[in-house]
Amino acid sequence: MNARADTRTHPLRAEWAKFTTLRPLWTVPFLAVALSAGITAAVQAAYGNSDTSLTEDPMEGLYYGLNFGQVAVACLGILLVGQEYASGTLATSLAAVPDRLRFYRAKLLLGAGLGLAVGLVTVGCQLAATAATVGLDPSDPGTARALVAGVLYHPLLLVLCLALTTVLRNQTAALGLLSPAVFLGTTALAAVPGVREAARFLPDRAGQYALRLADTPGTPYGHTTGLLLMAAWTLAAAWAGLRTLRREDA
Amino acid sequence: MIEIRDLTKAYGGRRAVDGLTFRVEPGRVTGFLGPNGAGKSTTLRMVLGLDRPTSGTALVDGRPYAALDRPLCRVGALLDAQALHPGRTAAGHLRWIAASHGLPARRVGEVLTLVGLAEVAGHRIRTFSLGMRQRLGVAAALLGDPAALLLDEPVNGLDAEGIRWIRELLRRLAGEGRAVLVSSHLMAEMAVTADHLVVIGRGRLLADASTADFLARHGRRRVRVRAVDPAALAALLATAHPDAVPCGDGAFDVPDADPGRLGALAAEHRVVLIELSVAHDSLEEAFMRMTSDAVEYRAVTA
Repeated sequence: MNARADTRTHPLRAEWAKFTTLRPLWTVPFLAVALSAGITAAVQAAYGNSDTSLTEDPMEGLYYGLNFGQVAVACLGILLVGQEYASGTLATSLAAVPDRLRFYRAKLLLGAGLGLAVGLVTVGCQLAATAATVGLDPSDPGTARALVAGVLYHPLLLVLCLALTTVLRNQTAALGLLSPAVFLGTTALAAVPGVREAARFLPDRAGQYALRLADTPGTPYGHTTGLLLMAAWTLAAAWAGLRTLRREDA
Repeated sequence: MIEIRDLTKAYGGRRAVDGLTFRVEPGRVTGFLGPNGAGKSTTLRMVLGLDRPTSGTALVDGRPYAALDRPLCRVGALLDAQALHPGRTAAGHLRWIAASHGLPARRVGEVLTLVGLAEVAGHRIRTFSLGMRQRLGVAAALLGDPAALLLDEPVNGLDAEGIRWIRELLRRLAGEGRAVLVSSHLMAEMAVTADHLVVIGRGRLLADASTADFLARHGRRRVRVRAVDPAALAALLATAHPDAVPCGDGAFDVPDADPGRLGALAAEHRVVLIELSVAHDSLEEAFMRMTSDAVEYRAVTA
């Protein structure tokens, strides 16, 4: 028996229980993996052997499904915080864990953990699905870098969306703004000549550059720096989220 | 014990709560009364540290809520019965709250049984009526077996049986030595539930007294008289009690009269009475009179 008296609150346990007791939450990681790995596998099965242009940069073929799966990852980040605002459970959450830093830290930790798990499984599945067709060179240090970056891209994107939802304090607004931005917004921006230079520094574009092997001419930063840029965005968003949470009435 | 001292919350220039001071003592049910918009919910939210006071303090056992080690074991609160995620089950909702305090899983079953929801523990909240959501909210408040309870309008949406249930539950919880604060805009309900009343209007304290004292002070006594010959009674009252009010069927209400003297007066003038009874203004009337200046939004009568 545990004789030690429990004298503190357990924000992370609470967050995990919130996640596992709500089906629209715990199904999303599976959806993310299914989309990313499934679409990559389907495209490879259909074109992998016939159309070599698809795999000019082998990573492009491997991460093809990520374009779709990342929307689910972003949504998970939004939902982890947004459902508390949408349903009004935030008051109960903060009554249970009044220290807003501890509450928010638990949210970030759960988000990062789930993102990391999704990233590992997704990249693993994508690697397996493309092993026969893409032809990675394991001796190329870029390969390892692109794979590690692919894993880390997931928690960074998830935490970024979670933090921005905390700043917006509104699930609908976050879904309306962030999911189209992640899905096509920044890609569309990158197509506009004047804006392209600036759009390169947006978190998802910078982060995704780290997933490529080939250099894109004119990119003012390297592959690894791209991931660090995304991490900087995520940190800034996390800080802004904490500031909002601490300042505002719940 | 909950101690509210000089608590003020201003939104822009408007003061939702204005210099409020009162205490919620253990062992009794304190009714927190006021018209809608009087600042009851804002006060409770400040006690829980959800809203930051503009000035003043709200202390639980001498400490701010946020400084409590395991707050749900000190204070259980029901703020908004609708603030539940409809996709969770009743047990699922309680499970995450229990997890935050490391409470054993059996507590979830215990409180669900206590509020009469054991049979629907596995049902999703979206299928629940408002009354069932209120019960679930009470279950969540009781989860940590707290010494103090704050319930915001817990009888809303409950049927007659539910209202009686919550009344008996509150009395029992206070009987166990807990401090119970129940907000309501229904004076009549509080009259039978609360031992002590804190009445506010426009964020200000209007009364802080035991229910009996409050009634004695604000509920006027009146004597109802009825005679065999209403005309003779009317003539007698016209001189002796000009403030008597005819109330149909030949009866009169005489405010602040002494029934003994009134009976003697009638006998002296050979007016045969067939009714002589004492009535108190209901708490509802006392409340209406007291808060009539403090009602935030009054319907305009054309």
